[in-house]
Amino acid sequence: MMFYDLFSGVKWEVRANDHYFHQSCRRKSFLCFRWGRYADNVVRSYKYTPLTFLPLNLYEQFQRVANLFFLLIVILQSVPIIATIPWYSTMLPLLFVLLVRGCKDLATDLVSLSFFFKTVKWKDVRVGDILQVHKDQVIPADLLLLCSTEPHSLCYVETADIDGETNLKFRQALSVTHTELNGDSVKQNLAAFDGIVWCEKPNGNLHSFKGELHWKGERHLLDTDHLLLRGTVLRNTDIAYGLAIYTGSDSKILQNCGKLKLKNTQVEMLLNKTVLVILLFMITTALLLAVGAGLFEHRVSPKYDVVSVLQRDSSPAYLGFITFWGYIILLSPSMPMSLYITFEVIHMVHCLLIGWDIEMYWEDNNSPAQARTTTLNEELGQVGHLLSDKTGTLTQNRLLFRQCFIAGHIYGLLISLMLFSPLDLSWNRFSCGGLKFSDQRLVDKLRERSSPECQEFFTALALCHTVMSEWRDGLPHYQAASPDEEALVCAARELGWVFLSRTRETLTISEMGLTRNYQLLALLDFTSKRRRMSVLVRDPGGQLKLYCKGADIVVLERLQRDWPLQESTERALELFAQGCLRTLCVAVRSVPEALWTEWSRTLSQAGTSTGNQETVLEEIYDQMEKDLTLLGVTAIEDRLQEGVPETIATLRRAGLKVWVLTGDKTETAVNVGYACKLMDPDTILIQGEELRSENTVYISTKILSKMTKAPEWGAKFVALSDQCQSVLCCRVTPAQKAEVVEMVRKHSTSITMAIGDGANDVNMIKTAHIGVGLCGVEGSQAVQNADFALAQFRFLRRLLLVHGHWSYYRICILLRYFLYKTTAFALVHIWYSFYNGFSAQPMYESWFISLYTTLYTSLPIQCMGFFEQDVSAKSCLCWPEIYSIGQKEQLFNPLVLAITLLYSVYTSIILFFIPMGILQYSALDYQTLAVTVQTSYNFVSYSVAAVVFSLVAFFLSTLALHSTRLFTASPKDYFFLGIHVCRLIIVHVKNISPKEEMHLIK
Amino acid sequence: MMASSYSAKEEDGHHSGSAGLGGTAIRTRKPDNTAFKQQRLPAWQPILTAGTVLPAFFIIGLIFIPIGIGLFVTSNNIKEFEIDYTGTDMSSPCFNCSQSFSWNSTTPCRCVLFFSLDQPFESNVFMYYGLSNFYQNHRRYVKSRDDSQLNGDERSLKEPSKECEPYRTNENKPIAPCGAIANSMFNDTLDLFYIDPNGTQTQIPFIKKGIAWWTDKHVKFRNPSSSNPNLTAVFIDTAKPVNWRKPVYELDTDPENNGFINEDFIVWMRTAALPTFRKLYRIIQKKNNMTPTLPRGNYSLEVTYNYPVRSFEGRKRMILSTISWMGGKNPFLGIAYITVGSICFFLGVVLLFIHHKYGNRNNSSDIPN
Repeated sequence: MMFYDLFSGVKWEVRANDHYFHQSCRRKSFLCFRWGRYADNVVRSYKYTPLTFLPLNLYEQFQRVANLFFLLIVILQSVPIIATIPWYSTMLPLLFVLLVRGCKDLATDLVSLSFFFKTVKWKDVRVGDILQVHKDQVIPADLLLLCSTEPHSLCYVETADIDGETNLKFRQALSVTHTELNGDSVKQNLAAFDGIVWCEKPNGNLHSFKGELHWKGERHLLDTDHLLLRGTVLRNTDIAYGLAIYTGSDSKILQNCGKLKLKNTQVEMLLNKTVLVILLFMITTALLLAVGAGLFEHRVSPKYDVVSVLQRDSSPAYLGFITFWGYIILLSPSMPMSLYITFEVIHMVHCLLIGWDIEMYWEDNNSPAQARTTTLNEELGQVGHLLSDKTGTLTQNRLLFRQCFIAGHIYGLLISLMLFSPLDLSWNRFSCGGLKFSDQRLVDKLRERSSPECQEFFTALALCHTVMSEWRDGLPHYQAASPDEEALVCAARELGWVFLSRTRETLTISEMGLTRNYQLLALLDFTSKRRRMSVLVRDPGGQLKLYCKGADIVVLERLQRDWPLQESTERALELFAQGCLRTLCVAVRSVPEALWTEWSRTLSQAGTSTGNQETVLEEIYDQMEKDLTLLGVTAIEDRLQEGVPETIATLRRAGLKVWVLTGDKTETAVNVGYACKLMDPDTILIQGEELRSENTVYISTKILSKMTKAPEWGAKFVALSDQCQSVLCCRVTPAQKAEVVEMVRKHSTSITMAIGDGANDVNMIKTAHIGVGLCGVEGSQAVQNADFALAQFRFLRRLLLVHGHWSYYRICILLRYFLYKTTAFALVHIWYSFYNGFSAQPMYESWFISLYTTLYTSLPIQCMGFFEQDVSAKSCLCWPEIYSIGQKEQLFNPLVLAITLLYSVYTSIILFFIPMGILQYSALDYQTLAVTVQTSYNFVSYSVAAVVFSLVAFFLSTLALHSTRLFTASPKDYFFLGIHVCRLIIVHVKNISPKEEMHLIK
Repeated sequence: MMASSYSAKEEDGHHSGSAGLGGTAIRTRKPDNTAFKQQRLPAWQPILTAGTVLPAFFIIGLIFIPIGIGLFVTSNNIKEFEIDYTGTDMSSPCFNCSQSFSWNSTTPCRCVLFFSLDQPFESNVFMYYGLSNFYQNHRRYVKSRDDSQLNGDERSLKEPSKECEPYRTNENKPIAPCGAIANSMFNDTLDLFYIDPNGTQTQIPFIKKGIAWWTDKHVKFRNPSSSNPNLTAVFIDTAKPVNWRKPVYELDTDPENNGFINEDFIVWMRTAALPTFRKLYRIIQKKNNMTPTLPRGNYSLEVTYNYPVRSFEGRKRMILSTISWMGGKNPFLGIAYITVGSICFFLGVVLLFIHHKYGNRNNSSDIPN
């Protein structure tokens, strides 16, 4: 067909009601091969079947370089001429590692079976099917809307689970399908529908869709307005009919999620480098020793016929070459083969421990903490920047109407919810409860109708909004685009001004039981720029009134000049702001009929004019919204979550830079900043451009976009923010949140953590090193994309300071210990080679080599990785300053690593030369020496086993936290144990304690 | 007022992105409050303070120094005598032997060395031979043996392991014992004579059994078909190692010390760990409590010089040593203990001084545990 060429991206063919066509192209898979086009609607998040497990898992495992390396070693060992140690001595550990790893993979896979979407009812949906979706059902696949029971085939969907926006969005079917298919015999019509849809291949772009419908010889363009996405919920529409276009893993939501980038931690990267260094070191050493072997064969052997006859006329160079491989095999135990698997097992256990922590379990929604990514634990102990969302993360996102200011009086008291005594609202048959406002005076005034201002105020609240109502059990339930609106309309309802319903032209409210119809003339929308909204209505008495609701600044400047009560209003606003309440001013204007006629003409002209419609509209709206009379001020509380101020204060003490990124307006954000101890009362604020050296920066959108665009600005900004206590970014869009995170990542070396609860935080969560999702009220999007899921913000303190610190500590100790034990083990061969003519004679017996990593030394090290605690949980929380060792990477950096490696060299020297020194005077045979050296090894490992098993945590001293830990954790040789440890500790205590103690006292 | 739109969402039973919502029977996901899961396993957390560490230093010092002194004194009381009989020097009696001798020579070369002991050797005296610069630990050398042949396996006797190459077969007969280690077996004969002040020489009696490890003698090394006492018949189809004068079944006349279980052979087959080594040769048993085993005076060592070491600049020694509870003479261990103990003690003193002078701050940490 010719439109192929026009739409090169349009390659997805969907034939309505053609089961056979789609069945034949079902996607199937075997092992790692896939064919077919259309995925079925079952979403598999597991990858193995009993049959495929073994080959697939082995294939995956040998993609790891370490495993491949050891496979190579095994192969080398099977070559007799270079086999210094028998093949099984590497084969056994390798099998062990592969086995553990395979079990782990299998376990993870089995866990993920019961995760994500359940598809019991949906699994039979095929591309090309036409589905009937009822009200409040979740849409099971990406559907092309054909028609619905609503006029014009409109239908409303709630997309909270996809983008987190709770307001309803409408979708409309093509007019052709609406008219042709709707009618009395809609089902027969649909069954006979034979249109063909050509559209894009499946992609993850939620907000774009292009395609064409070919039906009855005509082409109709399709766009995103015609598409009902899987995962959205049908609302306010009885039945909608749709044609399935993308099913299962092809659907947009699934294309969009589940693709978590594999995040590597800094420690892991350094570890990889270290392993590389060890490899290089190993090769160099083997090379040098091989040269030594060559020289030995050249100089010594010819005279030494006992040996020289054995090499059977080989040249020294060839013998050196053979010896090189022999030494590669011999030194290969210095490569920490089982390190990676131990690393992962320990990560997994740490994740389990996070989930098991009863102090991070929240009863209210029955959710424990959850570690969704198992590779990031130690970075929890290194976070330098915490970027937090505000609404729903710091606050509960449950807005409560707490106070109002009407005609010079403040109604309502800001008291704790504990002491709150609810009003008696039994007189109101529409009351649904839930009002956290208590002022009998206001209720009395309203019921006595003694205060026209109060009545007018609540009329305004009941009229001026974009809320949709829905009736259930005889009570109105509201669906609002913003929680503020909902809180206000609900409050009005509770106090007797009930918004009943709306149509395009009318608004129906019940004023104290008296139903009144208002004619809706115009709705002046809310935009973030205008920061207000208005409705123009004709009241039942025929009067034109404009009700306006908006941010205090914008409303106050539009009031009539010399308005009364100016002083008390400002005082009230100030009072509300101090109480961290979001304020909105409500105002009214009586509009003369003449003005309305003229204005509506201008408006309709503007509607047809070209050019920048938005600005034109804004101007026109502006003309209407002036000379207002203030009715009152509402104060809504978005309560902080429990423990937020304490948590932020602790985290700041721990040296974290806390950034709050919020879409809120500056004033609210600053107030919340004060409330949650992000800023102290004496903090100096620097706003926007006047960037000088003060304490807290808060910046807003425009500047931010400049910052993120120009790199040198970004660097300066991050440098500046390092001088500041905290940063508050206001009016930030979701994309900008991610940009801010990106900027911090780029311009600072520290680990960033992003925490949020809504879909608007997903970008940020994905961009940061570590993303934390709160299981809040805004759907599960944030959690789905996060690495860790928490129920409450305050649990972050425990997650970071306790689990993070422990994980970092344990993993660093583990890695260093591991490197230490493997290198010390292998290096002994180097010393021995000076005494055996560089012949690659192993120092140990072969069984010892194969059991060393698997049996003798793996358990103690793992127990340490699981249970070691340098400081108790309580101390971690009491002295958050301890956390800074992770931020400064004090336990695992190149210097510490070098010391570790040097130390292992030292140990290997001790291990070799002390037994040699002791035994050289006796009739020393090879076996005795080998066993002695091994025994001193065993002593090392068993004593650590004893230490680890019996002591569980080898706590030394909070004061001696730092880099000597390795030495203490790995005693080496019997009589050297004592001094070495003690000396270091003593010296350490002496040197460090003054500093540390001051730290702690402070 | 909880947002009503949310409650609507919770009614969708089949959309269970978040488990626990909407289900009828809500399973509590509260973690168990166990010591393991809450990471409260009992732990001992020693806090090192000056009060605990300083005494530890002194105690280590005080324990180690006497041990070291004890070891050192014991080691010094052990008498050891060593004589080099390689014969590299022109003046050495063995010079001629060492010059003329090679593996192929048939006539044994004899030389006699005279020495005197300043002190009597009490108790049992152990006689070692020592070799220097002999890489018995070279990998190819160490591998060149067939343990199953030495263990008496008949099939390996006829068909030795490939590891033994090139000492596997000789003239189409399998070599028993095969391999380079066996082939290069030390075959000097050492005899010791006491020279009375009046000039008469008496030979010192040697014990040649009991010099090998028990496991080697009884487990690792066994003659093939041990039921057959006639070793000549057992080894009938085998060749002797090329460097050997006599076949393996003629190593000794005692059937308990012949063939593969000859103890000189076993001692040699246990390869040394370092290129300079000593191996036990004979034991001189003490006669009675009245006279020392080896009284002070002059002795002569008669060497049947068979073993060539000149080509690789090796040295041959004869060592006489008494032993104590700690084994042979070994000053190293005592010195090591003394050194470590003194370092500990010294550090203890230094740290005590530092602590006394600067440590008046409250050192007991106030960390809750």
